[in-house]
Amino acid sequence: MTAPTAARSFPVVETAVLRVAVAGNPNSGKSTLINSLAGTRLHVGNWPGVTVEKKEAALEHRGQRIALIDLPGTYSLSPYTEEEIIARDFLVHDRPDIIVDVVDATNLERNLYLTLQLLELGIPVIVALNIYDEAEKKGYKIDVKAMEAALGVTVVPTVATRKTGMNDLLEAVTGAIAKGSRSLPRSQSYGEDIEAAVKMLTAGIVDRHPALVERYPRRWLALKLMEGDRRVLAEANISGVDSLMKDAVGHLREAHGEDLESLMADARYSLAAGLTREVLQRPSVRKTEMTEKIDRVVLNRFLGIPIFFAAMWFVFKMTFDLSAPFADWLDGAINGPLTRWIEASTNLLHGPDWLVSLMTKGVIAGVGSVLVFVPVIFAMMFFITFLEGSGYMARAAFVMDRAMHSMGLHGKSFIPMILGFGCNVPAQSGTVLWSLYVMGIVLAVLMGILFKRTLFRGESPMFIMELPPYRMPSGRSLAIHTWEKGKHFLIKAGTYILAVSVLVWFLLNLPWGVENKKDSYLGKVGSAIAPVFAPLGFGNWEASSSLIAGVIAKEIVVGTMGEIYVRETEKKPEGPAPTFFEDLREIGTSFASAGREAFTNVISTVGITSLKAEEKEEEATLRSVVAKSFTPLSAYAFMAFVLLYMPCVVAAAAFKHEFGTWKWFGVAFVYQTILAWSVAFIVYQGGKLFGIGG
Amino acid sequence: MGIVDFVLIGLIVGGAFYLLYRSLWKKKGYCHGCDSAGKCK
Repeated sequence: MTAPTAARSFPVVETAVLRVAVAGNPNSGKSTLINSLAGTRLHVGNWPGVTVEKKEAALEHRGQRIALIDLPGTYSLSPYTEEEIIARDFLVHDRPDIIVDVVDATNLERNLYLTLQLLELGIPVIVALNIYDEAEKKGYKIDVKAMEAALGVTVVPTVATRKTGMNDLLEAVTGAIAKGSRSLPRSQSYGEDIEAAVKMLTAGIVDRHPALVERYPRRWLALKLMEGDRRVLAEANISGVDSLMKDAVGHLREAHGEDLESLMADARYSLAAGLTREVLQRPSVRKTEMTEKIDRVVLNRFLGIPIFFAAMWFVFKMTFDLSAPFADWLDGAINGPLTRWIEASTNLLHGPDWLVSLMTKGVIAGVGSVLVFVPVIFAMMFFITFLEGSGYMARAAFVMDRAMHSMGLHGKSFIPMILGFGCNVPAQSGTVLWSLYVMGIVLAVLMGILFKRTLFRGESPMFIMELPPYRMPSGRSLAIHTWEKGKHFLIKAGTYILAVSVLVWFLLNLPWGVENKKDSYLGKVGSAIAPVFAPLGFGNWEASSSLIAGVIAKEIVVGTMGEIYVRETEKKPEGPAPTFFEDLREIGTSFASAGREAFTNVISTVGITSLKAEEKEEEATLRSVVAKSFTPLSAYAFMAFVLLYMPCVVAAAAFKHEFGTWKWFGVAFVYQTILAWSVAFIVYQGGKLFGIGG
Repeated sequence: MGIVDFVLIGLIVGGAFYLLYRSLWKKKGYCHGCDSAGKCK
């Protein structure tokens, strides 16, 4: 098993693109395999269901262009979940040239259940026996040759995370086509009765429904009709009581009852179990694995949820301790040297005064205030990626699923909730961030229950989740996925946050030349709606104006505050301005000291670190000025409001795109605004009542 | 404020609105940071 060979080393022969569908069970490593083969960065995570739609990657091997289609992970090709339907429709209707079936070598029997269904499709299959290293570690001995003989397909052991076996796999893929024969896998026998029925159905289909033969693989169609697959019956326009069906499966129904789907499932499981027995040799004495030992504690009925919240607190705490010194460093660099450089450059180009102001008090103040959070975002994404890759996120969903199931909700929707905190990250400290996070989860669960009992009645979809083994994520994978997640924040800063910062600057300066910013257009609108927020503790025009701008996207709240407050606090430094090189030296030395401080923070004890960090915050310009307009309690109420208030324009566009109507956006708008106001009201008034943070 | 200033302002504001339209609306709610929002081609 070797690394993939560079395609450049072979003469390029122009051929059509070979379409290779990559199918397999959830969490068998399909996306990782594609990333290793094609050098792409499809999102991967050590929890099932990361890929819920088809994704494509392109590569070239020995002059053969190959399009890899990453299908959602499924346990079968039955039509019960969205993932199964997507994968199945593609395989049946789009007919890829080859299927690479990614089989988790540590769970052979369960994975072979899907393999058997893929073999029914009449498409060449190559099995990538993935996670082979872990199977070997467990003491499993898999007879690859015997497996190839039994299935009638090429089997290639792979370790996608280490790019092992990738070249062999590509050779197998291109080799299958080079032969020109496109040899099909051996047809597996499900027993005499079933095979007789399949034969009769196939003949009947060819005879009575010839058009269907063009649309579906014959054997697959016959098996699906026999199972009574509603989707296929409807698509093929065949009734379950059709004479063809009666003739072919009548005797099976008599012998096994109406539920032939269960009969087929039993047949496939029996075959998968038999194949596994033939090719797999397990160690005679089974040790209790580390994963099981950890899970006994982490999945404990009583400890599971407290452990999850404690883990997330630790993530937020580490995020803050690690990133706060770098955030302060960035704040200093942006508001000091960078502002001076841009001011000097604009003056040098004889730019008008308003342009200098737009650049420094609009763009730098607005975008810069948001960019200060880049270290926080990246640190946060690093720890979240670590939890995902380690396998803990799947446990978190499982633990929450158990708790939520009794309330009619299911844990699958919980995973995005755990991960989707990016828009709301900018906050003051790890503990505050964590408390807002917990508040968000609690409210989401409560609202979920409310909606489930009012607007969205009906049964919850089935939620099956496999718990992957704990793994130490590789440094490369951590780096790539932290960057992939974090870079979106930089994209936002360079696109709509920049655009809104420019527009906000104009709104704060119109009518042109306005002296007091409170009298600007934005100030007037902010002042007009400020009374609405007075009971929440932030009834000032500055906060209201920021909330209006935040309708575009929540990060813009911070940017707008940066623009509003920088105008109130701006003061020229005393003495001559430092030279360019002095600025550079200062940036370098302050970065080094930020690094030292972050290191000290991370290794310090929890309490002392927090105090240190909070003392330091007082020195920061924007934070200290904002602190004059807010009490700790009103600031918390403000953050709670920002966390919960109406979806931004991005969400509006998503709603319109998904539902094709504004109705649901309107519902979400009204409900979230009311919820945000109510929660902020309870936080502020409740806090005042108990004398907290006022 | 001269004609050049007005032209410059027009260009800047127009550019800002275009950037907003392109990055927010045209992408139909593409969620930066959401796992499965975009397609990788």
